[in-house]
Amino acid sequence: MRSLSLSTRMIAASALLALLVAGVFALLIHAVLTLDDARDREARSKEVTAAGVELEKLVIDFESGLRGVVLTGDSRFLRPAEAGRRQLPRQIGELERLVAGDPAQRRRVQALRVAIDDYVSDYLIPIGTIARDNPDAVRTSLATEEAKRRTDAIRATFNQLLATEDARAAASAESAETQSRRAIVLGAGGLVAVALLIVLFGLYLVRSTAYPVRNVAAAASRLASGDLSVRLKEGGPGEVGELTHAFNHMAAELERRERELELQNELLRESERKKSELVRIVSHELRTPLASILGFTSVLLNRDAAPEDQRRYLEIIDREGRRLSALLNDFLDAERLDEGHLALDRELIDVGRVVAEQVRLFEGQSEKHKLDMDVRARPLPVHGDPNRLAQVVGNLLSNAIKYSPEGGTVHVVAEQDDGLVRISVRDEGLGIPKELQEGVFGKFFRGDAPASGIPGSGLGLTIARSVVEAHGGRMDFESGRGEGSVFWMELPIAASN
Amino acid sequence: MQTGTAKTILICEDDDNLRQLLRVVIGPGYHIVEAGDGDEALVLASEHRPDLIILDLMMPRMSGLDVLQQLRANAATDGMHILVMSAWPDAVEAARAAGADAFLQKPFEPDALTALVEEALGAPE
Repeated sequence: MRSLSLSTRMIAASALLALLVAGVFALLIHAVLTLDDARDREARSKEVTAAGVELEKLVIDFESGLRGVVLTGDSRFLRPAEAGRRQLPRQIGELERLVAGDPAQRRRVQALRVAIDDYVSDYLIPIGTIARDNPDAVRTSLATEEAKRRTDAIRATFNQLLATEDARAAASAESAETQSRRAIVLGAGGLVAVALLIVLFGLYLVRSTAYPVRNVAAAASRLASGDLSVRLKEGGPGEVGELTHAFNHMAAELERRERELELQNELLRESERKKSELVRIVSHELRTPLASILGFTSVLLNRDAAPEDQRRYLEIIDREGRRLSALLNDFLDAERLDEGHLALDRELIDVGRVVAEQVRLFEGQSEKHKLDMDVRARPLPVHGDPNRLAQVVGNLLSNAIKYSPEGGTVHVVAEQDDGLVRISVRDEGLGIPKELQEGVFGKFFRGDAPASGIPGSGLGLTIARSVVEAHGGRMDFESGRGEGSVFWMELPIAASN
Repeated sequence: MQTGTAKTILICEDDDNLRQLLRVVIGPGYHIVEAGDGDEALVLASEHRPDLIILDLMMPRMSGLDVLQQLRANAATDGMHILVMSAWPDAVEAARAAGADAFLQKPFEPDALTALVEEALGAPE
C-alpha cells in the first residue's frame, strides 16, 4: 500500500465504493423481485381458491338438481345442472391452468375432473334422461345413495384442494412480508454503509491530499516571505511524497543560490571597499609628494632664491618625483600580479651583494636608525632578477625604518642554510599585534600605519612576497605588539659550477 | 617669546619637505615655529602663543582634528587663528565644524597660502 500512488488509491477507493453501491442495489432488486414473486403466488392461490369454489358450486348445483329430480320427478330441477354442465369444461380447464405449476394440486384437479366427469356420466346424464322419459321411475332412492357418496368424495377432494391453496396463500403472504422486511433492512443498512464509506473516503481524501497541499501552501508562503530554511516532512503516498520531495529540493536549491549570491555580493562589496581604499591611498600618497613638487617648482619659477636654496629645492623635487614614480611602479606591479604576469630576469647573482648595496643606500636616510649588516657567506648565489630582489630587500629595510619611528638598530642577516639563502631583517619598532598579522601580506594592508601617520601604499609586502615566491622561495615574519618584527625570506641556492 | 614685532606662525606638518616648503613660501617676514606631530604642536602652541597655526590633518599618532579640538577647548589657545591643510577636499566640513578659520587643500599654490596668511595676520614686517 505504501508504494501505491495517490491516484491509484483514489481509483481503488472509488471502485470499492461503486462496487458496494452496486451490491446494495443488486440485493435490493433481488429482494423486490422475490417480494413480487411471493405476491404473485399469493394472488394465484386466491384465484385457485376462487375457481375451486366456482367449480364446487357447479357440483353442488348438480347434486341439488339431482336430488330435486329424484324427490319430485320433475325434470325442471335439472335445468341449473344442465347450464352448469356446459360451463364445466371451461371452469375445470381454468382451474387446471391455474395449478399447472403445482404437481400436487394438479393431481387433485385431475382427480376432481375424473370424479366429476364420472359423476356426470354415471348419474346426471342417465337420471336426466330417465326423468324426461319416465318421471315416476326416477323416484327411487337406490341411485341417490351412491351419488351422495360420490359427491362427498368430490367435496372432500375440493376441501383438500382449497385447504392446500389457503395454506399456500398464507405461506406466500408470510414470505412476502419477510421479504419486504428484509428489503427494508437491506436498503437502510446499505444506505448507512454507503454514507459511512463516503464520509471515510472524504476523510481519507482530506488527510492524504488536502492536509499535505495545505502544508505545502503554508511552506510556500513562508518561502515567498524570505524564510528559505523552511522544509517539509518528506514522505506520504505517491504524488504527495513527490511533491514534498520536490518542494524541499526547490527550497534547498533556492537557499544555496541565495548563499552564492550573498557570497558574490560580499566579494563585490569587498572589491568595492578595496577600490575606494585604493583611491583614498592613491590620493593621499600622491598628493603629499605632489604638494612638495608643485610648491617648490612654483617657488623656483615665481620667487627669487639663492642658488644654494635653488639646488636644495631641486633635490627635494627630484626625491619626491622618484617617490611618486616608485609608488606608481608599486601600483603597476600590483596590477600585474592581479593579472598574473610579473616579468622576471633570470641571472646568476650574489644576493649578498644585493643586500649590501641596499643597506648602504638606506644607511644615510635616517639619523635615528643604525643598520647592522651581517653577511655570513660570500657569495650567496641565486638565479634571479637583481632589480626585483633589490626591490624586495629595500622594501624590508624601508619597513623596518618606517615602523620603528623612535629609532633603533635594524639587524640584517644574510646566510646560507641547507640549500637555501636566508635573509632576515629585524627591527626594534612597533611590532605587529597578533590580530593584524593575518592580513600583513594582503593588498593595501596598512595595519595601524594610517593612524600613526606612517606613509605607504600597503602594496610593498604583497609585491615582495610575490617576487620571492616567483623565485621559488618563501617569505614570512614573526612579531608581536611592541616587540619589533623579523621579516625573513628564503631563496633556493643556485648550484655552484 | 616673540622677537620684535614679527607675528609668530606655528607650522604643524609631519612631512619634512612640506614643512620646508611652507617656511620658504611664508618667507622671512614672520617668526616661524615647526612641529612634526600633534603632541609637539600643543606644547609649542602653549609655549609660543602663535598668532596663526597652520595645521595638517593627517599626522602620526594624533590627527589634526584632535589637535584642533584640544586647541579650541583650552582657553589659552582658543582665540588663535587656525588654518587647516588637507589633501582631502571633503575634510573642509569637519575642519570648519571643529573650529578652523580657513582651509587650504594640498597641493596648493604658494600665492594662495601667502594670501591666506596675509589675510589672517596682515602684511609681514
